[in-house]
Amino acid sequence: MKKRYSYFISYLKITGRKLSLFAILLILATAQQLPVSAKTPFNQQAKPDIPVNGKITDAAGIPLIGASIGLKGGITLGISDVNGQFAIKVPDNATLIISYIGYQTQEIAVAGRALINIVLKSKEGNLNEIVVVGYTTQRKKDLTGAVSVVNSRDINGLPIGGVDQILQGKAAGVTVTQNTGAPGDGINIRIRGVGTINNNDPLYIVDGVPTTDGINQISPSDIESINILKDASSAAIYGARASNGVVIVTTRKGSSGKTKISVSAYTGVQSAQHLINMADNAQYVNAYNIAASNDGRPKISSTLAATLSNTNWLKAVLKPAQVTNASLSIGGGNENSQYIVAANFFSQNGLIKNSSFNRFNIRTSLNSTLSSYFKIGTNLNLSYAKTRAVGTSGDGFSGAAASVVRYALFRTPGTPVYNAKGQFVDLPTQDPLLGNFLGDGINPAAEADAANNNTYRYSVLGDAYIEIDPIKGLKIKSDLGGNLILANNKTFFKTYGIDRFFNSPNSLSQTQSTELNYNWTNTATYDLTLGKHVINLLAGTELIKQNLQAQSESRTGYVNQNPSFQYLDNGTSASQQNGGNENHFALSSVFASAHYQYAGKYLASASYRRDGSSQLDPSARYQGFASGALGWRIDQEEFMKNVTPISTLKLRASVGQLGNEQSIGNYPYVSLLSGGFYYPFGGGSTQGYSITSKGNPNVRWESSTQQDAGLDIGFFQNALLLSADYYLKKTSRMLLFLPLPSSAGNGGNPAVNAGNVTNSGLELELSYRKKLNDDWTIGITANLATVSNKVTALAAGTPIAGGRIDNNYNGTLTAVGHPIGSFYLLQQEGIFQNTQQVFTHAYQGPGIRPGDVMYKDVNGDGVIDDKDRTFVGNPIPTLTYGLTANVSYKNFDLNLFFQGVNGNKIYNQINTDIEGFYRPFNITERIATQSWSGPGSSNKFPLLSWTDGNNNKLPSTRFLENGSYLKLKNVQLGYKLGNSALKTLGISNVRVYISAQNLFTITKYTGLDPEQYNNSNNGNTVTAVGIDWGTYPSARTLSVGINANF
Amino acid sequence: MLLLLVLPAILTTGCKKILDQPVLGQYESGNFFTNDANATLAINAAYAPLAFTDGASNAIWVLGDLASDDAIKGSSDGDQSDFLSVQNFTINPTNSAVEAVWKLYYDGVFKCNVVTDGLGGTAAGVSAGVKADVLGQAEFLRAYYYFNLTGAYGKIPLHLKVETPQELQSAALPQAQIYAQIEKDLTAAAAVLPMTRTGADVGRATKGAALALLAKTYLYEQKWALAASTAQAVEGLGIYSLLPIYSDNFRAATKNNVEAVFNIQHTSALVPYQGYSLNAWFSPRPLNGYGFYLPTQSLVSNFETASDGVTPDPRLDYTVGRAGHPYYDSAFDPAWSVTGYVSKKHSQPLSEVPISTKGDGNLNYQAIRFSDVLLIEAEALNEGGNSAGALVPLNRVRKRARESYLYDASLPGVGTIPPGLLPDITVTDQTLLRATIRRERRSELALEFHRFFDIIRYGSAYATSALSSKPNFNYATNQFFPIPESERQTNFKLGE
Repeated sequence: MKKRYSYFISYLKITGRKLSLFAILLILATAQQLPVSAKTPFNQQAKPDIPVNGKITDAAGIPLIGASIGLKGGITLGISDVNGQFAIKVPDNATLIISYIGYQTQEIAVAGRALINIVLKSKEGNLNEIVVVGYTTQRKKDLTGAVSVVNSRDINGLPIGGVDQILQGKAAGVTVTQNTGAPGDGINIRIRGVGTINNNDPLYIVDGVPTTDGINQISPSDIESINILKDASSAAIYGARASNGVVIVTTRKGSSGKTKISVSAYTGVQSAQHLINMADNAQYVNAYNIAASNDGRPKISSTLAATLSNTNWLKAVLKPAQVTNASLSIGGGNENSQYIVAANFFSQNGLIKNSSFNRFNIRTSLNSTLSSYFKIGTNLNLSYAKTRAVGTSGDGFSGAAASVVRYALFRTPGTPVYNAKGQFVDLPTQDPLLGNFLGDGINPAAEADAANNNTYRYSVLGDAYIEIDPIKGLKIKSDLGGNLILANNKTFFKTYGIDRFFNSPNSLSQTQSTELNYNWTNTATYDLTLGKHVINLLAGTELIKQNLQAQSESRTGYVNQNPSFQYLDNGTSASQQNGGNENHFALSSVFASAHYQYAGKYLASASYRRDGSSQLDPSARYQGFASGALGWRIDQEEFMKNVTPISTLKLRASVGQLGNEQSIGNYPYVSLLSGGFYYPFGGGSTQGYSITSKGNPNVRWESSTQQDAGLDIGFFQNALLLSADYYLKKTSRMLLFLPLPSSAGNGGNPAVNAGNVTNSGLELELSYRKKLNDDWTIGITANLATVSNKVTALAAGTPIAGGRIDNNYNGTLTAVGHPIGSFYLLQQEGIFQNTQQVFTHAYQGPGIRPGDVMYKDVNGDGVIDDKDRTFVGNPIPTLTYGLTANVSYKNFDLNLFFQGVNGNKIYNQINTDIEGFYRPFNITERIATQSWSGPGSSNKFPLLSWTDGNNNKLPSTRFLENGSYLKLKNVQLGYKLGNSALKTLGISNVRVYISAQNLFTITKYTGLDPEQYNNSNNGNTVTAVGIDWGTYPSARTLSVGINANF
Repeated sequence: MLLLLVLPAILTTGCKKILDQPVLGQYESGNFFTNDANATLAINAAYAPLAFTDGASNAIWVLGDLASDDAIKGSSDGDQSDFLSVQNFTINPTNSAVEAVWKLYYDGVFKCNVVTDGLGGTAAGVSAGVKADVLGQAEFLRAYYYFNLTGAYGKIPLHLKVETPQELQSAALPQAQIYAQIEKDLTAAAAVLPMTRTGADVGRATKGAALALLAKTYLYEQKWALAASTAQAVEGLGIYSLLPIYSDNFRAATKNNVEAVFNIQHTSALVPYQGYSLNAWFSPRPLNGYGFYLPTQSLVSNFETASDGVTPDPRLDYTVGRAGHPYYDSAFDPAWSVTGYVSKKHSQPLSEVPISTKGDGNLNYQAIRFSDVLLIEAEALNEGGNSAGALVPLNRVRKRARESYLYDASLPGVGTIPPGLLPDITVTDQTLLRATIRRERRSELALEFHRFFDIIRYGSAYATSALSSKPNFNYATNQFFPIPESERQTNFKLGE
């Protein structure tokens, strides 16, 4: 007699009480009480059967729903339920076959066990990859939005300091630019272009904790994956903070099984590259004397020239430096509890003395299933980072130290670094005839030597959650997360100089800030399958709070400047100053989303979030954000079954709204008075108060409406995958601090909603992986994105000037019809070749002569002035791309990573100083040797003359350059050690590698590094991007490393 | 589990309170002017823009003297080249000195308007006495800022309250309207401000300061009778006199003296820093100065000499450093200056301010000295037809100058006035006396940042002659500095 085997899935027994409870949360008006079962009878030969239960998950522990369980060579027993669980009855010696689309089929011998948990490995192509999206997860194949995924394997062994750098060149439409090459300096991430004149930083969610900068508190080695939610349907669930895109970071978790120990380490040497060829002393003296004769100044005599040194200042300040990284992780667990403990140490010295970055991280993650419906877990990341900084960029205008590199470029080669006594030379040689005209500026080596600016950051980032699964398909999770950041800065301004006195009196300045961000996020998800209908529902609430406290102290008058005396106590008490303030901010939200699919073919999703913020006027604190998306998996249609080369074909479309509430300050709705104005009545310091910020009760969040259409197509069993997306993002009610007439005084500019910006672009992501034979495997991933940015409206049409390139002179203009921060300059038409040309050309001012720069009379009024400025390009690349290629042969593997941008402009401000020739600064070799020297000699470089410098260095296209570049960011050659020898040592695998970062850069840009963003004197403003004041260059790094698993 | 489900529901309904985050450490504008202390805090802030804690921000010295025939920029060639542009009249609207003075002095106006707005209504809680005094100070300061602004830029926007972005779009008004407002403010201020300030109030505006600035305003408006009578009213207060030794006006030890009608205050070694930065800007580079602001030969030649043709007006060596004369406690080095001269009125000996804290000087800036008031009176009387009457205040100024020889022990031959030095003027021909008064004014107030404005006030003929060494100067186009670009780009009602 044949026995009947039964199985069941997902039989829901919902009591009335339970139903009413989650009705509160889920608004499940039509709660599905239907049993979700489809009993399929089958037969087996008679044998004593045992009940076997278990759970099927993927490598990340995510349940696989609907995986098929069958007997080897026999029948299908059933499929797993929404929790990945199954319950069957089989003979105790049976062999089970577990299969699931996109996963490698697995055979498991029951061997008398009653509980079998199965982990399926995904096939190549990754469409079953789990993608963490808004408060939940989805399979890549079910996505309806535009989501880019970067996995840990993409970043393995890259010698980079921060998590944010990982994203560079790895995802289409995600532009990552470092401010400068200085260790620990800021990184700018722009997702789908620049949407606003304000803060364009994305929202980061690190293991569920929303944070604006937590991403840098974790080590790159702790990253499991980074998902970038680019379109509105993916990001809208994050509401008011999602307009610039959402970056979801998932860290590594422990997995059940044997304890795994991983060790990795690398060390490398960084060196300067792509240096500017500056004039040597002979060239400088020659150029000086030509200019002197042009200007009627005394020349440098050959006797004097012979006494001058020949210093290469760039080489004097940029020295090779070491970078080292080591990490260790131990992870493991059983079916119920998994843990991981990881530690990482990263140390990078800078190319310039006294600049460095060190970070130490410890991370633990614990997940435990206490019972079949109760789960708890915690993530905790402790980090310590120290950044020691020298002036990296800019001219010191905003208070940050002026760039060391800038002064290295300024300094004439005739000035030695040290004098005979070994002291830093301060003033260039003084000559009775030439006076102080033999050089200028500050000794950059002395400036770097004196710099002692240290920022210490201590942070705790993590969360703890409980998750309850009261009934099949329902998960209720409460997650308390937080990010505590203690940031201290200690800067000693040492008095130095032998002829002049810098930082006099000396001073010590310290600041401390305590930032506590915490969130309490409660979600309920309900997944159910009704025949061919699969529904996933989510509802939740979130409370976000930020408390920020800051203190500062300083003293001056240190008798002993030794570091061991650089404490406040050692300064003069009469000089002490201190300050402090506190700020709070809160965001309270409710949200819900629904995903629906029919027959695995038709996908739909919708989301809504309502945010309330303390930053808006009490009368209008709430704003809602909605989105919707549709998807069609054409490959699942009958008619596609025979189209064999195509393994995946999916169309996606979405639309939604997103907000941006960053950077309007905590109280933009009201005018505020604060202190800080001092006047010495009667000889004593007396404080005053005045309006420092002007309020606007009508200010609201800016919002963007984003449309996205996408296509995913895969060929040859998904060995070749291509994703394409087109988006149109319209930012409206753009927040801006309305530029007021300067006669308004310094009361601050009120925030207003005034302006629209449109971004549109095409994004392509391509991957190809193929195992050619037993020895050879190749893989290529590539991405490419275009962006087109345009301001479509501004308050009263008022263009916004930005990007200071000289005192009171702004190099960019943000105006309707042009990209944000477009360069707005005169146009160099050439060089005046003869006097006739000077007379017939538009008037440029007194004293113009042949050899001077000729500017275009754009408005044709016969005079060259401000009215002849025009839009001449912008710093936003029109095309960004990245390409990673892997080849492995037997135990060898080779990785190449290219990254580049195209179509952007850089204003080479430093060239106005080193090619502008208006002050006795050093000059580039090309201007020293290729300058105009008579009719027809040059139409590019003017004659050498200091007096004509005022005309010749006018902000113009003369200094505007193509900023496109292609960098070989990384090349890495690895070798896996053979197994046999290692096994005896208990080592499962070892890979050693050599790696080179920034091996070459292809660019027409003549400055030190085309990869740069804001200079420090311009702050982090989007209207000042792409102005090069002489920045700290990025290094070329050669390193060796090892990865080992035990 | 029940708790877990219910809590979020409570939270969502309770979140309204969470969203009420109070403003910390700052006042909302609606609840600031509620007591005497706050009213005083607001007026204190309005004084801050007066100070010369940064020579580049308060660039009135660039406009007042570098544009004139009294001083050149100095320092190295490319350093602050915009200041050189002012000197040479190749001035763009983006010129940093032109921008700086505009922004700083209008910021002063704004801070005054915060006070007049705040106290303009009921301002319950502020006592009548404090309210009157604080309003008077605000009116005086606003007049002082506008007086400098219209002197430098001519037609300018007039803001008299804290304006909305729409209201800030405003036309530049003719100078007469600006002066009318200045007169109004000063008249109101003079009516309420006290005669003197003592103790911790020294430095605040007084009745005399308001009247003196009013006299100067009338002088600029060529309202001669009012200028003379108002200057006499200052004299009539009976509290001002000329110091026996001229140079005591420019010494830290003798600040806020009986000659000081309105002084801009600076004090060394305060925290935060409230010192006189011009001490560094104008000192020679080897003394850790920046080497700016070098007096011209033309200025030096303006000073009279005694009958011997050599012994100079003592004010010369009080005003400039030159070869053969010590520069306070340092020896003068000719390499310091391409003109051969350095300025002295804004610098201090190293014994007072050491090299290490050069920028933290302890001098006040003499915005209005009593000798200025006397010269206003002299000029107004002469221009008004009373040349004989003009001689009285004029000769008071000359007498004090020459009598430094009686009191200043540091002068060679102290005790005896060199024969023929600065004799009393007796000429009563209006034209001749006009020239004499102008020359006297140039010597007496040399390097006090007034010269360019005087030159322009004297008219085209005088200015063209005085600035003949500046080929780009054109009286019609250069009598006022251009309204800066930052204003042009944001104020569309400015007009041309």
